[in-house]
Amino acid sequence: MSVLILLIAFSILIAGGFLIAFIWAVKEGQYDDDYTPSVRMLFDDKPGSDNKSSLLPKQ
Amino acid sequence: MQALEKFQYDNKIVRNFAFATIIWGVVGMLVGLWVALLMVFPQLNFTATAGKETIGLTFGRLRPLHTNAVIFAFVGNGIFMGYYYSIQRLLKARMASDLLSKIHFWGWQLIIVAAAVTIPLGMTTGKEYAELEWPIDIAITIIWVVFGWNMFATILKRRERHLYVAIWFYIATFVTVAVLHLVNSFEFPVSLFHSYSWYAGVQDALVQWWYGHNAVAFFLTTPYLGLMYYFMPKAANRPVFSYKLSIIHFWALIFLYIWAGPHHLLYTSLPNWAQSLGVVFSFMLIFPSWGGMINGLLTLRGAWDKVREDVILKFMVVAVTAYGMATFEGPMLSLKTVNAISHFTDWTIAHVHVGGLGWNGMLTFGILYWLIPKIFKVQLFSKRLANFHFWIATLGIIFYAVPMYWAGFQQASMWKQFTDAGQLKYQFIETVTYMQPFYAIRAFGGALFLVGAIVMMYNLFMTVAKGKLEANEEAEAPALEKTYHQHAGEHWHRRWERKPIPFLIATLIVILIGGIIELVPTFLIKSNVPTIASVKPYTPLELQGRDIYRREGCYTCHSQMIRPFRSETERYGEYSKAGEFVYDHPFQWGSKRTGPDLAREGTMNLKKSDSWHFNHMEEPQAISPGTIMPAYPYLIDKELDTASTAAKIRAMRTIGVPYREGYEYAANKDLMDQARKIQDNLLKDSIRVKPNAEILAVIAYLQRLGTDIEKNKLAENKN
Amino acid sequence: MKDALLNETKTQTRRKNTVQCYHCGEACDRSISADQKFFCCEGCKFVYQLLQENGLCNYYELSERPGIKVRGKFSSQRFAYLDNDEVKRKLLRFNDGNISHVNFYLPQMHCASCIWLLENLHTIDAGILFSKSDFQRKDLFIAFDPSKISLRKVVELLAFTGYEPYISLHDADKKKGRKVNRKKIFKIGVAGFCFMNIMMLSFPEYFSSGNIGNPALQKVFSYLNLVLSLPVFFYSANDFFISAWKGLRQKWLNIDAPIALAILVTFGRSIYEITSGSGAGYLDSMSGIVFFMLVGRWFQDMTYDSFSFDRDYKSYFPLGVTLLKDGNEETSTISALQSGDRILVRQNEMIPADAVVTKGQGYIDYSFVSGENTPVLKKGGELVYAGGKQLGAAIEMKVVNPVEQSYITQLWNNDVFMQQKNKDKSFIHPWSRYFTLILFLIAGGAALYWSYTDSSKIWPSVTAALIVACPCSLLLSATFTFGNMQRHFGKNKLYLKNASVIEALSKIDTIVFDKTGTLTYSAQANVLYQGDKLTNHEINMIYSLVKESIHPLSRIIKQDLIVSHPVHPLAVKDFRELAGKGLKGVVESKQLRLGSWHFITGDGFLRDPSLSGEVHISIDGVYKGYFKISNQYRDGVTEMIRTLSPKKYQLHVVSGDNDAEKRNLQSIFGAQARIMFGQSPQDKLNYINKLKNEGREVLMLGDGLNDAGALKQSDVGVAVSENTSQFTPACDAILDGRGVNKLHQFIQYARSGKKVITWSFILSILYNIVGLSFSVQALLSPLIAAILMPVSSISIVTFVTLATSFSAKNKGL
Repeated sequence: MSVLILLIAFSILIAGGFLIAFIWAVKEGQYDDDYTPSVRMLFDDKPGSDNKSSLLPKQ
Repeated sequence: MQALEKFQYDNKIVRNFAFATIIWGVVGMLVGLWVALLMVFPQLNFTATAGKETIGLTFGRLRPLHTNAVIFAFVGNGIFMGYYYSIQRLLKARMASDLLSKIHFWGWQLIIVAAAVTIPLGMTTGKEYAELEWPIDIAITIIWVVFGWNMFATILKRRERHLYVAIWFYIATFVTVAVLHLVNSFEFPVSLFHSYSWYAGVQDALVQWWYGHNAVAFFLTTPYLGLMYYFMPKAANRPVFSYKLSIIHFWALIFLYIWAGPHHLLYTSLPNWAQSLGVVFSFMLIFPSWGGMINGLLTLRGAWDKVREDVILKFMVVAVTAYGMATFEGPMLSLKTVNAISHFTDWTIAHVHVGGLGWNGMLTFGILYWLIPKIFKVQLFSKRLANFHFWIATLGIIFYAVPMYWAGFQQASMWKQFTDAGQLKYQFIETVTYMQPFYAIRAFGGALFLVGAIVMMYNLFMTVAKGKLEANEEAEAPALEKTYHQHAGEHWHRRWERKPIPFLIATLIVILIGGIIELVPTFLIKSNVPTIASVKPYTPLELQGRDIYRREGCYTCHSQMIRPFRSETERYGEYSKAGEFVYDHPFQWGSKRTGPDLAREGTMNLKKSDSWHFNHMEEPQAISPGTIMPAYPYLIDKELDTASTAAKIRAMRTIGVPYREGYEYAANKDLMDQARKIQDNLLKDSIRVKPNAEILAVIAYLQRLGTDIEKNKLAENKN
Repeated sequence: MKDALLNETKTQTRRKNTVQCYHCGEACDRSISADQKFFCCEGCKFVYQLLQENGLCNYYELSERPGIKVRGKFSSQRFAYLDNDEVKRKLLRFNDGNISHVNFYLPQMHCASCIWLLENLHTIDAGILFSKSDFQRKDLFIAFDPSKISLRKVVELLAFTGYEPYISLHDADKKKGRKVNRKKIFKIGVAGFCFMNIMMLSFPEYFSSGNIGNPALQKVFSYLNLVLSLPVFFYSANDFFISAWKGLRQKWLNIDAPIALAILVTFGRSIYEITSGSGAGYLDSMSGIVFFMLVGRWFQDMTYDSFSFDRDYKSYFPLGVTLLKDGNEETSTISALQSGDRILVRQNEMIPADAVVTKGQGYIDYSFVSGENTPVLKKGGELVYAGGKQLGAAIEMKVVNPVEQSYITQLWNNDVFMQQKNKDKSFIHPWSRYFTLILFLIAGGAALYWSYTDSSKIWPSVTAALIVACPCSLLLSATFTFGNMQRHFGKNKLYLKNASVIEALSKIDTIVFDKTGTLTYSAQANVLYQGDKLTNHEINMIYSLVKESIHPLSRIIKQDLIVSHPVHPLAVKDFRELAGKGLKGVVESKQLRLGSWHFITGDGFLRDPSLSGEVHISIDGVYKGYFKISNQYRDGVTEMIRTLSPKKYQLHVVSGDNDAEKRNLQSIFGAQARIMFGQSPQDKLNYINKLKNEGREVLMLGDGLNDAGALKQSDVGVAVSENTSQFTPACDAILDGRGVNKLHQFIQYARSGKKVITWSFILSILYNIVGLSFSVQALLSPLIAAILMPVSSISIVTFVTLATSFSAKNKGL
């Protein structure tokens, strides 16, 4: 099953690549704020543009 | 020194991919309906004549067309549609290069067209979901790089520092699919549209399903999770339930998914531990998958009133629920005990369609309904039609899945039942006829789903007609604060280098090293699975026959893998050994038994006369009443292309099949001799046929199947 | 917790037809309006118009009435100190002349609209280049062009729109720079990654029962494992070694010691097995354990970023003051104040240091410092302690003691504030010590036994024992229990500083309450009118008069009138507010007087209405009646006190306030409870001290700066706060006012926590027995270890999670 070595090599390479990505992301501070981005992505980029209906359950 | 920058989003590319999605979606589903009907009315398998070339538009050729169309054309375009819309907005930047976007779009469509042409023409690698021949594979690689390049370039010039979780899912898709594609498409060309997989038998199978599973994972799942994380909050206009959870979801999924492949090969000749490996990891997948589903559904908590009136959210809810069901069922199916029942049956078909129709289909529809009016700056033409679509599609899924689950289960149990006398209770043909009504209902379900899609097409067309595309949507955002101070309070200029470059490089390295390791198998091939002395390479005629077998897509209905169960050994003979497949480029184990297994078609208990095969090919229903196998009359008139023999032998030798040097020159002689023998046998039963008719090759191949280790036995018996 | 913050709503009982301010949602009359929208005050209207002009009305679409009311008049003067270079230098995070960076803490941030507006500031003023908010930390980062807009103008813009940054002495001392502990995340990531891969490379071994039929492959796998395990051992796990080592150096065996040992042994033996080719090692178990334990710790240490648990007076005092140097004003930082300096204190500004009034009349609200609710009158020459807030018009003062030596800050020189509350007293450590002891005994026993029977098995059995019997399951149960409990407390608006508070809370037998803002609402109050029936017109007259006043009582009466009547304001002529007496003014040519009995009728003795809680009314000299204003107790507080009845806990009340409420309190608390008034911050501290010396475990609930010492001194100091993002003194936990009535449940829950842990310990001990039974027989295969590790870890984690959630439910949390 020598081909396994090949597959494992690839799998670990990919996983390793993502590990690097992960470390980069944390270093970069990507996850320092793990809430605001989820709200920010809802805004339209043109101020004044209509963005009706409340984001928050109305009280 | 940054200030407020004005820029424009490219909506044109989004529209193009959206249209492509709609059109290919309908086409793919249409073909799907067609193949579904073929299983109820085999008469619909007909032959078409293109020039002097006669081809059979049979299930074997159309099924790959369906799978490729829905996966790479419908879902593929769907991914890119959502991707181009969301990534520009998430990064607050136009795509780095409109040209690359255009190339990406047209390239992808060309590939699809090429596939739509070559597959029915029987140009296939014979590997499921990777049927496309090598030139198209290369094209795919190029287009994929274009797509990736454009993405990373855009990430580099982004105006939003934070990479929203969706983008991570896109990146994962790009990287992993690239590598999977490279590894699996590693084939040796014989001619422009013919090639042999570089790996053989078990190894080929392993690579294929490592690819196969991850294709599902990284083409049908991760990108769609990305889309879910963008479009669901957008459509509901409320933040995702827990952003933290979504981040954990991503990383957990990434570190797990890649390993789950081998569960597609349970009870095969793959080493046991390798199978179990697949099982465990597939099972663990349930946690991240459900994390994602729950996150998606909880996003709508407290907004169910909205869901009731908003059809878009309805589509998405069903999609996410289907995702949950599929990702729960998947791990279950990967449990050996369950798999023993489900594998080779229509259960699998049901499973993939819950995922395909439910998760991918419904989410795509939801996105389309949300996105088209948005970029065309109009209201949706008809909410009522959209609602109609929703209900008919949902019904369609139910009518599709339920009978298939039931049928699959029955099928399995009928295969496994024994009489008290210890005989198999059912002939295989009985199980086939039993399935008919279920296939019919399934076709009905599929039809409903298709109708829904067509209604959507009309609805969106009218919407587009009403509106006008805002090709370049105005937007403004401050340029990225280069020396941005994170709370971390690091030294400010360090931030300069902090860019995704390291990551880009990392991925490139991964792919580069991947490319280098591409060469490894050539060395690996030598050290191979335990060979069996009596297993010999195929004769030239058999080899040709095998290529026809592959061309006609016989593997889509016939497996060549006898699992070590009494029910199977009784029916098909001794279970398959790894050593039997060492010369199978590519492996033809198949994944579905609409027809019986053929691994030992040529051996004692299954052996049939040449003329039986001839007649069966010419008119199956005449020989085994109730069969749904298509007829292959044209194999009789069609002449075998002996010119290719030499090249094929040579190719085979290069990838490790021990044909002696220079055999390619003698090959055709042997071929003709063997052909004549069969010709004579047929003549005995007063069947006249040209000595170079393709059918002879096919018969030769079928008669050869499984005989190797039988010879072994005979030898043993002698001494 | 997120939701708690996000759904912050202004609770107000209102009649259907009272209008709400379109901007801030406060009940108001219909007098002020713009484009058919009503506003409670000019301030709100201005902000609306500002956003209107800049096309930012999306602000009002995103969430309902998101605005924040700006109290009092908006005076640009208050921010003059921000032009002071010293101040700028201290506040700016980065500045190169054409771009400046600054981070602000904005407690008011409460909804999506806030985020949206704060990140679109650049559309209001081009000088602002870029702004990014961090909702959970209530933090706003702004990059601006100092050549286009000054720091002061930035702050004024924010303040004007209702987001006045919380700038305090504290910010100046150390520049804002919250250290996110990314190391933890790295370690988890690395461990998780390696764990996954090691596991997947180890499985072949197990599934093929040790023979995967391809020795080459087998070698590749185990060596890959070895490589993958290195980062786990040397990077991810190093905290355990370090803390174990620290512990040992102080002759104290903490829980990390046995864990470190187990990891060490596992790693060592695995290396040996792999290199000698005698086995596959236990690397998957090792990395798994490390991974799970790291996750556990991370889960437990998830703190509430937006809260600060250790604010001292520094974060209460303003950063800048207005100095008076020979007649003209100039700004300076508070820390630069010298005794003898002359300073100017404007309306609503804080007295920055102990000082004597030299010009004007001080009308000082000490509620925050002393808990005393009544503004006090300070005439020229009188000494005013730092920390009070000037309600009246601007006054000039002469500094006596600079802030560090001021009366209020004396408190922080008390050594309570030096000492850290000891975290290591957790009962887990002794447990782990016994555990280790027993473990060694067993290992030794095994060794002894084998040395007689089969010496070749000594080493395997001993190492195996140390491998399986790692007390990680103890650690896991503790970390996950506490972690999950913190989440449940958080759900009920009690935000703990750290997990050790739970243990302290479970021991409590004495509870000390502060009154104002703790038992009672600090803002709301009960208003009861007694006297002749007032006509609508008269009500409007009274309303118009109080509307002019800034006195707390006036504000209370105004709000009450708005919600109970369809008032609309009338013009008020020559309005005057006489500190400590009342208000008078002419409304529609009628003389209107509100205030103390003496002020209205001239007879009786002079008593500030706030003390009596009575505000009398006369119109054109005709006595009408009076409003009786009494503290409003928090909903459910009285019931809560009853459940805490003396047989369970000793109850005390120490209030800085006057004894107006004494009778009320006594009736609620019952005769046994000790109730004291007029307590100075120091008194409170000493009182707690006394109780502790009597050997009681004390829980203190307070809200003000005056409770800071007591909170610090007590075993568990809980700061009560109307809005969890407002200023709270140093404490162990922050409790949202709405949660006060759950106090009893909280303590009960904390107690149940210990039970849960005990049970999970027993569970983990069982696993250890199983493991040891294998190991002492030298039968522990990597497979068994690999099964035992995740099974025990996961089952324990699930157990504690379910158990804590369940007990939370039936404790009514």
